[in-house]
Amino acid sequence: MLMISPRMATGVQDKQYTPSLLSFFIYNPKFGPREGEEEKKILFYHPSEVEKNEKIRNVGLCEAIVQFTRTFCPSKPAKSLHTQKNRQFFYEPEEHFWIVMVVRNPMVEKPNREGKPPTVEYQEEEILDTVYGAVLQQCYSMYKLFNGTFGRAMEAGGVELLTQKLEKFFYRYLQTLHLHSCDLLDVFGGISFFPLDKMTYLKIQSFVNRVEESLRLIKYTAFLYNDQLIWSGLEQEDMRILYKYLTTSLFPRHSEPELAGRDSPLRPEVAGNLLHYGRFLTGPTNLKDPDAKFRFPRIFVSAGDGCEELHLIVYKAMSAAVCFMISASVELNREFCEQLDGLVGPQLTLLASDICEQYNINRRISGPDKEPQFKFIYFNHMNLAEKSTIHMRKTASVSLTSVHPDLMKILGDINCDFARVDEDEEIIVKAMTDYWVVGKKSDQRELYVILNQKNANLIEVNEEVKRLCATQFNNIFFLD
Amino acid sequence: MEEEHQDKEQSETVRCSEPQSHCSLDEPDSLQVANTISLENSSPVKLDCSTEKPCRSSSDTVKDIDSTNGPSEPEPEPEGPEGDGMSTRSSELSEVRTGEENGPSSQPQGTAYEEDQPENVSDSASTDNTLEDSSEFVVTVLARGSLEDQGEGPSSALSEASSPVQAQAPSHRDEDVTAESWRRHRKHVFVLSEAGKPIYSRYGNEEALSSTMGVMMALVSFVQSGDNTIRSIYSDEHTVVFMQQGPLVLVSVSCSRQSEQQLRSELLYVYNQIVSMLTQASINRIFERKKNYDLRRLLAGSEKILDGLLNLVDSDPSFLLSAVHCLPLASSLRDSLSQILQKAITPNLVFSILIAKNQLLTIVQEKTVIEDTRLEPADLHLLLNLIGASSAFQAGEIWTPICLPLFNPDCYFYAYISYLDPPECTVCLLLLSTDKEAFYAVADCKRKIDEGMRTQNALRSIARAQSYSASQVGVSDLRHFMYKPFDVPDNHRQLTQFTSPEMEAPYSSEEERMRLLDLYRYMHSRIHSSSRPLKLIYHVAERETLLAWVTSKFELYTCFSPLVTKASAINAITKLLRWIKKEEDRLFIRNPPKYSTTPNPSKGSRGGKGGSDRQDTTDNGFLSLL
Repeated sequence: MLMISPRMATGVQDKQYTPSLLSFFIYNPKFGPREGEEEKKILFYHPSEVEKNEKIRNVGLCEAIVQFTRTFCPSKPAKSLHTQKNRQFFYEPEEHFWIVMVVRNPMVEKPNREGKPPTVEYQEEEILDTVYGAVLQQCYSMYKLFNGTFGRAMEAGGVELLTQKLEKFFYRYLQTLHLHSCDLLDVFGGISFFPLDKMTYLKIQSFVNRVEESLRLIKYTAFLYNDQLIWSGLEQEDMRILYKYLTTSLFPRHSEPELAGRDSPLRPEVAGNLLHYGRFLTGPTNLKDPDAKFRFPRIFVSAGDGCEELHLIVYKAMSAAVCFMISASVELNREFCEQLDGLVGPQLTLLASDICEQYNINRRISGPDKEPQFKFIYFNHMNLAEKSTIHMRKTASVSLTSVHPDLMKILGDINCDFARVDEDEEIIVKAMTDYWVVGKKSDQRELYVILNQKNANLIEVNEEVKRLCATQFNNIFFLD
Repeated sequence: MEEEHQDKEQSETVRCSEPQSHCSLDEPDSLQVANTISLENSSPVKLDCSTEKPCRSSSDTVKDIDSTNGPSEPEPEPEGPEGDGMSTRSSELSEVRTGEENGPSSQPQGTAYEEDQPENVSDSASTDNTLEDSSEFVVTVLARGSLEDQGEGPSSALSEASSPVQAQAPSHRDEDVTAESWRRHRKHVFVLSEAGKPIYSRYGNEEALSSTMGVMMALVSFVQSGDNTIRSIYSDEHTVVFMQQGPLVLVSVSCSRQSEQQLRSELLYVYNQIVSMLTQASINRIFERKKNYDLRRLLAGSEKILDGLLNLVDSDPSFLLSAVHCLPLASSLRDSLSQILQKAITPNLVFSILIAKNQLLTIVQEKTVIEDTRLEPADLHLLLNLIGASSAFQAGEIWTPICLPLFNPDCYFYAYISYLDPPECTVCLLLLSTDKEAFYAVADCKRKIDEGMRTQNALRSIARAQSYSASQVGVSDLRHFMYKPFDVPDNHRQLTQFTSPEMEAPYSSEEERMRLLDLYRYMHSRIHSSSRPLKLIYHVAERETLLAWVTSKFELYTCFSPLVTKASAINAITKLLRWIKKEEDRLFIRNPPKYSTTPNPSKGSRGGKGGSDRQDTTDNGFLSLL
């Protein structure tokens, strides 16, 4: 699990270790209140091979920390514990259910003279609590999206069912956590929206209406293009986590074959159907296959006070993807899928090429891309809209940023500063590397800019950011 | 080479003032404040309210400590039942008392005054006043002392001084630790021993908190058992910071939103204040001998000092900046004060410090002791707190052992503390000697200084000296600032100082003052972040605009009105730096003078070197950064 990336600057043999997951566990202190029964509290523990007493001890420490902080504020217990070697994050998503994630601090290993073990230096201030706290909450949201609440599993099948579900979900999910590449975007957990002209937007809306009209079973629809959201009928919080799943897990898994044959996406098995490029990303891979299974993943979204279980159908044509959600009480069969494929396939193919064309026209109008003097991240708390020119590509496995990690952490620091006071603020800092970083908060919106001009002065930086706001954000930010 | 040699010798002298095992009171006497007062212009009466503890401290303290002192001592006695040691203790006390009375004390202080007076013909009237006033003081103090004698038995000068304060407001010690009001305190500080025994709590009684402190210790040792170290816990409201220093564990529980680094440095101040009373060596020795020793016995009466320190840390930016705040003074006046101090010396005197309104007036230091060290601002802060925390010092002369933890955590200096202007008690003289027996010699220096001040009418000039306001700087939009010049390499012995105007509207209420300080603390934590330090922060918020700027030559924090533009803020800073440059002789101690009190004193005293070419604030090219 160690991520090793030798750092040239720090000497020939120094080894730099990025933060990594040490352990991840879920417990409920009510499940083993008596002495000797502590093991019953533990519902899930990763890595599972840890010895039983060690598990009990670690859970005990978490309980003690939480209890201790309640001495000073009963309603707001501990969220993180910092130690020399690691950080632990605590999250109580449902009453008495605690999820704990232990992340090892990044460290530098310096080789010693022969015989002696290398000296290890932990970098204790590198991990941002807000970032990893958000990652932990995401873990739960993702579990809940596919399994519903812990309480639901308890009602359905008691502790036994819950532990089974936890085991099944987290065993795979934890492998997809890439703690070394988490940053401010994880804090926002935003949604990237596809910029679109009104005409095309209306076309999409009418497409969605038509499909929902003809296939009455469909309860909710979401429309994405190029991994960016255009339309969603779900609640914002549900869409946020579904979006995360689609863009970091489902789409990347299916992007490989597409990239391989972008110009001829008609794979042999669907070659017979020349009418459209549509295909199911969930459910049956090939409708013509007589043995095809018509099982779709189930998801849980909020409905009124409780939640609602749905089939998740993801259907894609070229760069356009549509999610159809249908009540789980309905049995889906070949007939329905063929109907959907026949109805949606051709229309979506057409729509996708329309959008593509429109997109290219817009790009041409805005002129050739030249390297801008700045990079930025924008987030709007009201609609979760997020935009980053810092991240070149964010997938499940890796987030490629075009700036130094330290600058990303400064963005994280500024984000924490904004959280201190609930008022409009602007923060401009000059880093030791002479980069200027600007953060602006106005109403529900936050903008972070990293400027490339090292020799600029405060006033020039201010002018530059003003220009950016005027061109990109219609002067949303009024300060100064 | 010669100097180096001297230096070694001198440091030996310093070392030899370490607590010695033959003197039974050496260690606890951090609290032993020998309160010497001249009564009715005649022979000195010693109000030795020194070592005694408030009643709850157990009596076998002294014996316990004794035995920890020397290798030849017998094993420590088990903790006996409380009470029976009181007699032992008082007999020891009286021993010491007689010892000191028979010492060099024979020369009556009053006589010294009388002898001196005729020489000061011009000022005799005011001197008379002073004397009358001081004797009035003595009476009140004596009266109070005797009342306490009848009541609760002996109490230290420190705890005695705090009693009136206690009467006004109910002590934090009696707080209900389960009440919401207790939880809502901005910052709790706990000190406990490795055995989990409570030593100090800022709010609430340690006994009532013993289980909470037990949990703290359990957390510390649990994490330790995993070959790891606990640092801190964060919740939405609180930051809990743990720090272990030798056998002591210090914990801060704060909702002030300060950085962990800052809270840790505050805990270090608390630890150092404890060291200043007991020395690190003896703390370690005590716990080596007896893991579950109750250190409160030795610190009894000194809670007020720690309380005072924590209040000061919250309200005085000196601690944040690790720098000393000087009272602005015409350089000619400051020089003449320094000269007065320079002239009044005695062997083994190492520091002469003059303080007014809790700010430094001047400091003169022994040349060789300080050759390659300097008085750390932190040590001076602890001294200032000690003086400020107790009004008992206003009552005459104090002679107390005190350790300067950053200078040397294991040895004692002996501090002579006396106010020069009773009954106002605004100007305080602090003389530090390495010689435990030098009280009378040092007290004599004070009289020389008194005399010098009178001749030059210096007290009146000091009284006129005032801090300044931001408006006096004459820069529009500038509300407040803190400026700390850095030492340049060839002048590294300079005491780190900073200057800052009084806080005015809109920062006149206690609450607003704290809010501005909190903003400075936040800027400070970001710009000095251990992992991601910054060069400059410009922060625009609804109520003010702040700018923090660190260069190789200075560190500056400014506060502007919220509507200031960036251009005018930069303009204001340029003007401010120019103003500081112009005023720096008045704002800072530029050339800290020295004297020599080594056996072969070199003739006269030299002024410190360097310093004149210190900060060059306006034309150093840094403005291009802005």
